[in-house]
Amino acid sequence: MMDNIWLASAVWIGLALASSLISIRLALSVALIEIVVGAFGGNLIGLPLTPWVNYLAGFGAILLTFLAGAEVDMAVVRRNLGASFGIGFVSFLLPYLGCMLAARYLLGWPWPQAQIAGISLSTTSVAVVYAVMVETGLNKTELGKIILAACFITDLGTVLALGIVFASFTIWLLAFAAATIVMVILLPKVGPWFFAWVGQRVSEPEIKFLLLILFALGGFATAVGSEAVLPAYLIGMALAPAFQHDPELPHRMRVIAFAVLTPFYFLKAGSLVEVNALVTGAGLIALFLGMKMATKFVGILPLTRYYRFDKREGMYTTLLMSTGLTFGSISALYGLTNHIIDQEQYTVLLTAVIGSAVVPTVIAQKWFLPKIAPAKQEV
Amino acid sequence: MFKRIVVANDGSEGGFKALALACDIAKRDGTALHMISVEVLPNMPASIDEVIEAKTDENHKFHDVLAKARDIAKKKGVKLDAEVVAGHAASAIVAYAKAHKADLLVVGFMGHSALYERIIGGTADRLVRLAPCPVLVVK
Repeated sequence: MMDNIWLASAVWIGLALASSLISIRLALSVALIEIVVGAFGGNLIGLPLTPWVNYLAGFGAILLTFLAGAEVDMAVVRRNLGASFGIGFVSFLLPYLGCMLAARYLLGWPWPQAQIAGISLSTTSVAVVYAVMVETGLNKTELGKIILAACFITDLGTVLALGIVFASFTIWLLAFAAATIVMVILLPKVGPWFFAWVGQRVSEPEIKFLLLILFALGGFATAVGSEAVLPAYLIGMALAPAFQHDPELPHRMRVIAFAVLTPFYFLKAGSLVEVNALVTGAGLIALFLGMKMATKFVGILPLTRYYRFDKREGMYTTLLMSTGLTFGSISALYGLTNHIIDQEQYTVLLTAVIGSAVVPTVIAQKWFLPKIAPAKQEV
Repeated sequence: MFKRIVVANDGSEGGFKALALACDIAKRDGTALHMISVEVLPNMPASIDEVIEAKTDENHKFHDVLAKARDIAKKKGVKLDAEVVAGHAASAIVAYAKAHKADLLVVGFMGHSALYERIIGGTADRLVRLAPCPVLVVK
């Protein structure tokens, strides 16, 4: 049946639709559900990863990363560069080092595999933190903006590490870096000019223009041994101010991404989970999850004290900054796709990443909800 | 006789039943009525856009809920002070009840998903346990 491209498409989209419905029913992230449904699909019915599935999944990862970069509030990052960079960098560096060194010295993984472990578990979910900021009204305060900007810095650290650690250090890497920097400098001016010039049309020249840049730089990145998500995140950041001024274009791109691209990415990520490895690797999953949370605590909790959060709010913030999903799964899948880690290690890392999306959130909601009154909302 | 009544209204049928009963009690006791509605944002969202989308939906929903609630209160001759917050229903309602020194909290049936109820706990259960005053649950 899977040889028939349209029936295969129906199976994939059917799973994506089922994931959407389950996520609506449970009020949980659709990405998380897609990974879990993908794991069931991959292990129960078998989901062959054909070239077109891999293409759509890769395209989804690039677009997802680009849109994540486009969510960065650059004005806030610039205004609070010191504090947000400090918190964000610590939030990236300690889990990265902790999980990498645990993989290398406790488990005896070779350095490249240990690097993937460190990168996959270094992330912070900006979306989870943002939701809490809205609830508490902290998103309107300078403190909240600093924390949110710090999350972006953490993700930037993850993406930079993924793009640089495995790159081949040749003259072509310099050429790629130069091309990316030129685009990052030019796009904030050229992008809005081009969008205004072509206007909004059914043929979507704006989206084609952006995809051309993302594909070209992504191809360049891949050719030099880097990762296509690196330029995608940076280009997203460069266009963030323009997108925040006019959110219609990124909204149309999100519709495309979440309807037909990212489901393939998250379902594929889940389908590669090996059920046997879940059982045999349960201890490793707990180790990595524990290490990620412990190192986030070591890095972030003292900073919450420094910024005079009370104990409960400090714990709550630290737990939420221990969450992660999208960039963690992208990093683990990068390791598997490039044969840096095997499927068993991938299963361990992806499950630890999923655990980091669920466990800190549940603990935070169950035991550390802040006692401050929620902010009044304008409706 | 109650002096400060708080009603929680999530916009559901149960929420409006609670409001109607709270209005009757407020009218009987000649007191003002405070209404709290809680916008619930997604758990474990994967993108900021998911949060913004949910917030926008909730804003639209509670805009209508507030208008309808004010209309009901006006018809019953009760002064209604209404507020919308975002967050977790139980903790937000408890915080509001404490802030307004409520001596009665009236709530309708407010259900999350079965999985959420199992893991995090039921809203009504938590309100009964955490509220600083008597709780009247209306079904």
